[in-house]
Amino acid sequence: MTKRLNYSFILLFCGCFLLSKVNGFSDEPSAEGLAFFEKKIRPVLIGHCYKCHSANSEKIRGELLVDTRAGLLKGGESGHAIVPKNLEGSLLIEAIRYEDEDLAMPPNKKLPASVIADFEKWIMMGAPDPRDGTGPIEKPNWEKAKNHWAFKAPAKPALPEVVQPEWSRTDIDRFIFSKLEEQSLKPAKYADRRTLIRRLFFDLNGVPPTPEEVEDFVADKNPQAYSKLVDRLLASESFGERWGRHWLDVARYAESSGKETNLAYPHAWRYRDYVIDSFNADKPYNQFISEQIAGDLMPARDDQHRSELMTATGFLALGPKSHNERSRMQFAVDMVDEQIETLSRSMMGLTIACARCHDHKFDPIPQSEYYSMAGILYNTETHFGTIQGPGNRHSSKLLNLPTETTNSFGRTLTATERARLEKELADSKKARDQLVAQARRERQDGSGDIQRTLFRTRVANSRVSDITEKLSGYNKNGQSIPRAMGVRDRGFVRETRVLERGEINQPGEKVGRGFVSIVNPDFKPFFNRRGSGRRQMAEWIVSPGNPLTSRVMVNRIWNHLFGQGLVRSMDNFGSTGEAPSHPKLLDHLAIQFVNQGWSVKKMIRQIVLSRTYRMASNYDSANFQADPENRYLWRVSKRRLDAESIRDAMLSTSGLLNWEKPRGSLVAKAGNGQVNRSRNLQPKNLIQTFDHRSVFLPIVRDLVPPSLDLFDYAEPSLVTGKRDVTTVPSQALYLMNDPFVLRASDNMARRISEEASSPEQRVRLAYQLAYGRQPNNREINSTRQFFERWQAEQKKQTSSRATSNRVSAWSSFCQALLCSAEFRYLN
Amino acid sequence: MNSDHNILEHLSRREMLKNVSSGFGYLALAGMCAEAAKTDPLAPKTPHFAPKAKRVIFFCMRGGPSHVDTFDYKPQLKVDAGKPGLGRRGTSSRAKLMPSPWQFAPHGQNGLQISELFPHLAKHADKLCMLNGMHTDLPNHPQAFVKMHTGNSQFVRPSLGAWTLYGLGTENKNLPGFIVLSPQTGFGGAQNYGSAFLPAIYQATPIRGSRSGSGQVSNIRNPRLPSANQRIQLDLVQSLNQGQLEKDKVNPDIEGVIESFELAFRMQNEVPQLMDVNKEPDHIQQAYGLKNRATQTFGRQCLLARRMAESGVRFIELNSGNWDQHRDLNNALERNCHGIDQPIAALLADLEERDMLKDTLLIWGGEFGRTPHAQNGDGRDHNNRGYTMWMAGGGVKGGIAHGSTDEYGYAAVEGKVHIHDWHATILHLLGLNHKRLTFNYAGRDFRLTDVHGNVIKEILA
Repeated sequence: MTKRLNYSFILLFCGCFLLSKVNGFSDEPSAEGLAFFEKKIRPVLIGHCYKCHSANSEKIRGELLVDTRAGLLKGGESGHAIVPKNLEGSLLIEAIRYEDEDLAMPPNKKLPASVIADFEKWIMMGAPDPRDGTGPIEKPNWEKAKNHWAFKAPAKPALPEVVQPEWSRTDIDRFIFSKLEEQSLKPAKYADRRTLIRRLFFDLNGVPPTPEEVEDFVADKNPQAYSKLVDRLLASESFGERWGRHWLDVARYAESSGKETNLAYPHAWRYRDYVIDSFNADKPYNQFISEQIAGDLMPARDDQHRSELMTATGFLALGPKSHNERSRMQFAVDMVDEQIETLSRSMMGLTIACARCHDHKFDPIPQSEYYSMAGILYNTETHFGTIQGPGNRHSSKLLNLPTETTNSFGRTLTATERARLEKELADSKKARDQLVAQARRERQDGSGDIQRTLFRTRVANSRVSDITEKLSGYNKNGQSIPRAMGVRDRGFVRETRVLERGEINQPGEKVGRGFVSIVNPDFKPFFNRRGSGRRQMAEWIVSPGNPLTSRVMVNRIWNHLFGQGLVRSMDNFGSTGEAPSHPKLLDHLAIQFVNQGWSVKKMIRQIVLSRTYRMASNYDSANFQADPENRYLWRVSKRRLDAESIRDAMLSTSGLLNWEKPRGSLVAKAGNGQVNRSRNLQPKNLIQTFDHRSVFLPIVRDLVPPSLDLFDYAEPSLVTGKRDVTTVPSQALYLMNDPFVLRASDNMARRISEEASSPEQRVRLAYQLAYGRQPNNREINSTRQFFERWQAEQKKQTSSRATSNRVSAWSSFCQALLCSAEFRYLN
Repeated sequence: MNSDHNILEHLSRREMLKNVSSGFGYLALAGMCAEAAKTDPLAPKTPHFAPKAKRVIFFCMRGGPSHVDTFDYKPQLKVDAGKPGLGRRGTSSRAKLMPSPWQFAPHGQNGLQISELFPHLAKHADKLCMLNGMHTDLPNHPQAFVKMHTGNSQFVRPSLGAWTLYGLGTENKNLPGFIVLSPQTGFGGAQNYGSAFLPAIYQATPIRGSRSGSGQVSNIRNPRLPSANQRIQLDLVQSLNQGQLEKDKVNPDIEGVIESFELAFRMQNEVPQLMDVNKEPDHIQQAYGLKNRATQTFGRQCLLARRMAESGVRFIELNSGNWDQHRDLNNALERNCHGIDQPIAALLADLEERDMLKDTLLIWGGEFGRTPHAQNGDGRDHNNRGYTMWMAGGGVKGGIAHGSTDEYGYAAVEGKVHIHDWHATILHLLGLNHKRLTFNYAGRDFRLTDVHGNVIKEILA
């Protein structure tokens, strides 16, 4: 009810004048008043106005919403729709009276006189209206957000003065200790060597030290022993398997599409290996993330390097996708949205995707800038594979790599196999052609069940594509062609338009390609007509003027070493994120990170060599009272191991662990298809005996292995900077009863019986394997009690009835150690 | 925890935990639950206002059940049978309007129209609250199915059950608070029952295979240890944990470990029995249709739901499918309805008898409805613009039909209820304000209804 009004100015004036009155309207509406509204007013509003003036309207007219009290009071373009107890000031009355041609509402037909009278009466009652809600969307207030700390470049801080300088080994310690002094908190003492080696092993390599490694380190009198151990662990292959996995959490790595149809991505594992290798090689972090956005556009030294760079862009291709989406355009814009969400949160801790449908509510990111970035990705081809067919309306080719990457999955196709596949292909083509002919016939003469035939044709067609895809994976000699998921440029550029309210059928103004200007406003990219602009995007993210990228990464590193970040909202550094506990330290580290060539290993080394990292985790009641969450780091927090470490520790403690890097992945072996539906993609194919490190387990969306899933694995559809830590009974059930744990216990029992001779030595070895220390007296006693009670119970059972599948007391004892809290907690 | 009082409380709790690990006192744990409430994310929580329903049983009908053949009577379809229907965007289509092959009749005091496909349920007409004006955004199974469960088909978001558990906690510490029977694996799979960014503990415990009668919770039994031996083993575990706790002085995590192991140990006793419906008296099994091939699958789910509801489970979701009748409506729909009619009616009667209907909210429905025109002879296509769901029990008016579709059943015209409104209303009945039930994630407060949702006040009892 708000059309072009010339006197809107006057109304605005009226509105201001009346505002005090409106705000002063504090009487609670009476029950009769509300009943009147429900009976007479609400039905009319719903029936005649909501279509164009409610939050659910397809297009809200005149910026007016009448589906909330606030909306009516605020009004739209033309002014207040209603002013309680004031008929003249209420535009709504004027509109429904049809007094002004431009304003007349509802547009098709005047309401009956009785209804208009009801509205007049209602306004004079004070317009009682129970409908809560905010009404029209307020323009966000960005002034404050523009001064948000994270949007300013890190400033090199002076090293803080401390009263007791002897406490500090490194600069990090001075930042931490000065805060502790400020807060009157007492730092904990050094942790003992036993604690330290276990902490270092899990933090840097994700596995426990062997008893020999522990004893050697404890006995080593060399003052360099600790730093030597650090260097050894940083150089180990296990380092990449641990820290690569941290990155895979924020890269929402998975080997299937998730969502409704959940199609396998059998080539995703190459990206996993790329990440592991990059961390092991200590690839500079700026280079690492640039490769993931624009590796295909970078110069390569040789074929090997070219393959690596192409594989890196898998980052953009392996997000969750709605393969069954009907609209091609919707699929494309959703995919780009997911790419923006992932890259902006993982690399910059920024929630740019919030600006898809409207300006960002909290951070100064206009909707147009979202589309400027989207324009770059709209002009990029994403290659994710899959076979089109029932459940999949969107497939694409994969990237053919010039040569095999480090982990060769290559297998050969024998002549017999090729012949068999070619025959299958010929047969399935024939079957398909027959169906096509049949469908044509049925359409012509109206016979048969055309829908059914068309469906069968689709199935037959996907069969043809499947075999064609399989054959195309090998060259003439039968050698497999390495392929990867990833992106590349299309070679020409189409213009981009803002999509109003994010809807594909509401294109708005044209926008050029570009970035979010609040971050790094001096960055002025040049875009040509052929390239997508991804190189520029990578440069923008890692350029020295970007205040977020380095801070976000050092914060991630800190989080993995201390259990909480300096900024605890890991993936959100925007104005709704949390402020850093130690802002100066964060800047200090961020600047150093860049100065040291973005080396992740150097940053980790620096942190673990600090005294702060080497503190004990002991409880202190005064400190605890003042700072229970340990924000100021008066001790090192106790932490539960993550899912992979728990599983890997069980494998390694029991002696089952296979340290070799497996070839490819179980998903790669299973091939294309729909998870749970296709015969090759049943849980039994994907969750089977597999004693390699957990990072190599198949990660299928919605079918994460229980050993990981139960212990708060990162949801593989979301950017996860920090995992949950829960303690739920299903974990206990798993530890008490799962065949994997039972097998590990059996093997551990076998191991200790082989490696130690007397029962006491066996018990001692078991404790050393599980905890990295000798049992204390109390534990020896409990263990003795356990064996006595167990024996008595066995006797009782044998006398009553024979137990056929007797479990050895030793296995049960080993399992008790694997189940105990100390096994999966770090001090 | 900033006063001595808390520390003292803490210490006395530790004393109890000590008893637990000594091997005799673990039963004393039950009494500790109230204390644990402070740190236990599953402890019962006070709702925003007095709730009408304490728990939910959701009959999820995967595939989109036809509304015009079940609960939305359209006599005009008979009059205009064979005339052209409407196409996807409201244009006329070559498809022809198809009247329901089944007869409708008024039932109950208010004469609620129900088709002859539901003879048993019709006897409970006065308990049913029809929502004839449902509508959702997309006529695609996966999107609509995920939307129904999480309110959002574009992004991974927490499910309705997870939000419920997050808001209310659970009443029986021996059982999970959110259970889904025979969960759907496609159509978004676990996402439909997941917790997304809510703490993982709020996701559903799925119980698969409950169709066959062998459904069990994973790892609920040790395949080789007798219970007595496992207790001996567990006593060693708890003694080790206790030692750790004493060393650490204060460590809620270890306390949590000790408690979760005791609960798991108890679950091993309670859950298999809970799942064993054969213990139910014959007449009950008969009533739920367990003796009949056509009804036993869903009957077992309904009976399990009652047992879980009795035991204090907060949110129970049952599954029936497939309702996607693009063809062969005559046989397939009849078979589906027959499979669930008697079991649901039995559950309604059983809950009423046990005086639990008043605070148990029952919800029935699928991801959308079907077109009034025919497809492939006697099938119907997807229709998201108008369809029917119903509620019964805790806090809703019985024997009413709220909202309506147009004369053929294409689109909701009055009393329109969007999925967001449906979510808002369910939370409201549980004593939760959908606008206040929020969780901060990625820098903003998320809620089940995003920025939408209105409580359907008209149906509140």
